[in-house]
Amino acid sequence: MQASNRTKIAVQKRGRLAEPSLSFLRSLGLRFNLNERNLVTPCENYDIDILHLRDDDIPEYVCRSVVDFGIVGENVLYEKNVHVNVIKKLGFCPCSLVIAVPRGSQIKALEDLEGERIATSYPRLLVHFLEEKGINAAIITIKGSIEVTPTLNLADAICDITETGRTLKEHNLVPLVTVLESQAVLMESSFPRQDKSRFFSL
Amino acid sequence: MKRLIAPRIPKGTRDFLPKEMAKRQFVMEKIKSVFISFGYGTIETPALEYAETLLGQYGEEDSKLTYTFKDKGGREIALRYDQTVPFARFVAAHHKTLPMPFKRYQISPVWRADKPGRGRFREFYQCDVDIIGTKSLLAEGEITKVVHRVFESLGFDGFVIKFNSRRLINSVLTLLDIPTRRQCEIIRVLDKLGRIEREGVAQELASLLSEQAIETLLDIITAQGTNEQKIGFLSQYDTKEIEDFLTICDAFGVPRERLVFDLSLARGLDYYTGIVFEAFLENVAIGAVCAGGRYDALCSLFSEEKFSGVGVAFGFDRIMLAMEELNLFHHTKLNSRVLVTYFDESTLKNSLEILNDLQNAGISAEIYFEPEKLGKQLKYSDKKEIPFVVICGPDEIQRGEATIKVMRTGKQKRIPQNQLTSYLNGYTYAGIK
Repeated sequence: MQASNRTKIAVQKRGRLAEPSLSFLRSLGLRFNLNERNLVTPCENYDIDILHLRDDDIPEYVCRSVVDFGIVGENVLYEKNVHVNVIKKLGFCPCSLVIAVPRGSQIKALEDLEGERIATSYPRLLVHFLEEKGINAAIITIKGSIEVTPTLNLADAICDITETGRTLKEHNLVPLVTVLESQAVLMESSFPRQDKSRFFSL
Repeated sequence: MKRLIAPRIPKGTRDFLPKEMAKRQFVMEKIKSVFISFGYGTIETPALEYAETLLGQYGEEDSKLTYTFKDKGGREIALRYDQTVPFARFVAAHHKTLPMPFKRYQISPVWRADKPGRGRFREFYQCDVDIIGTKSLLAEGEITKVVHRVFESLGFDGFVIKFNSRRLINSVLTLLDIPTRRQCEIIRVLDKLGRIEREGVAQELASLLSEQAIETLLDIITAQGTNEQKIGFLSQYDTKEIEDFLTICDAFGVPRERLVFDLSLARGLDYYTGIVFEAFLENVAIGAVCAGGRYDALCSLFSEEKFSGVGVAFGFDRIMLAMEELNLFHHTKLNSRVLVTYFDESTLKNSLEILNDLQNAGISAEIYFEPEKLGKQLKYSDKKEIPFVVICGPDEIQRGEATIKVMRTGKQKRIPQNQLTSYLNGYTYAGIK
């Protein structure tokens, strides 16, 4: 079992964080050749394997020590209820989790959300936020294409990730309030494991 | 004029209204779910037992508190005084068909002819867990973990599980040259420590022991310090059981600060032989909320075969009082979540359809029985603390919509009728995890 002795780092397979995460690893001096179809990329100059995973699986993998390190957005990490150590905020892929409403909506302020329907893929973060603000609302949990729900009369507001605000604008939505400012973070499992130092030394 | 009977109930008993019952059920369900998570099954024994089954098993003082009467056939009957003795009788009767070791929980009322007081009633519920058919200290460890989990899951921050070893106390008494036959009597007096002062206990012991023996004994019993310090202080006695017990509790993940070795704990009852426990809540002066221990010979009164067991009883009513005092009931819900109003004859069918949909989606809902003015229906909802009211008149029906009124805020909202369930299930007040 040669592989199990190697340090494993998980990064997003496809999506916003995939490319910047690999650039970050390269900037640490790791050398590797990517092959589109491989889920594991071995480093040439260190005993480190890079695993390409779905981003919302990464916190769980790190938590259970299946991998030693992982890079995900804070939005993904905090939506999962897992215990991991965040080592470092990496500064790239900034985005905001915001509550947005259709232009011209009766919802003008945070308090107006009381009793309204909010569609989101981040129910945990949203519940937490609303509880903190003392607001009760109906949370409609949906996997994707959140922006379209107000048009379908499925929701009165949405809670989703935005980078530049372009997608919101395209769907005639205006941000009302920010739930979370997010960026990419490097995390490790809270279980101690030998050989991690190999990575820390970089 | 017709003479009416006063609608009263006997001293020390209670009626419970739905609001109170919701809280009681909340606590019972929490406790039950902990028991179930450790794999305990439940049993039921009759409220009535033959008096001979119960009398003489609890020590003199407790036997006096057992309700007894003659049944119509002249037989001496006793009301269930606790669940442990009937359980011993049960095991003696059924052990051949039970899996051994046998783990069971039981929640049922017991009756005691006690003087009613704060948290003390003549009819009250007990919640017991017992493991029978093993002498392994793992059983004590598991019971301790169960006790810990119960109080933790009920939301108590501060509580301790005090424990002692009956075996250790006996070894202390034996080394003080006290004959075995007097030890029980002395233990019963020692158990009063904490409730009465040291001097009072010394006085009660004066007829049983020499003055010097009393001083030595009370010094040992009232020793202060950490668990380890107390064990160190007792090095000449048999402390192995206590040490092993702590090691096992540690491995079970019971936080150390929860466990307090208390040598004055002697549990006034006659049947404990090994580790004994009592749980206390911090910040609530209500006495022990849970008590029990290891019993070795109890079943022997009912059967040739001996079963060693360990178990605890939770003081349900005391737990209720403490939860009330510490304000831990903010999560309880009454049974009805939604009132569907009865608008008029023409819309009744649609309202009942909504009701069916809600119930099929697992949302407790009810319909108002008369097509009364909306205000009266809302008042009913208010009094019953129903959080949501669904109103669906001809106008809403025409648009395939329904109006939902959140009673707490008074805010009304129209949404498509087929979204009612997702709205209610997604409502944060419903306690999404």
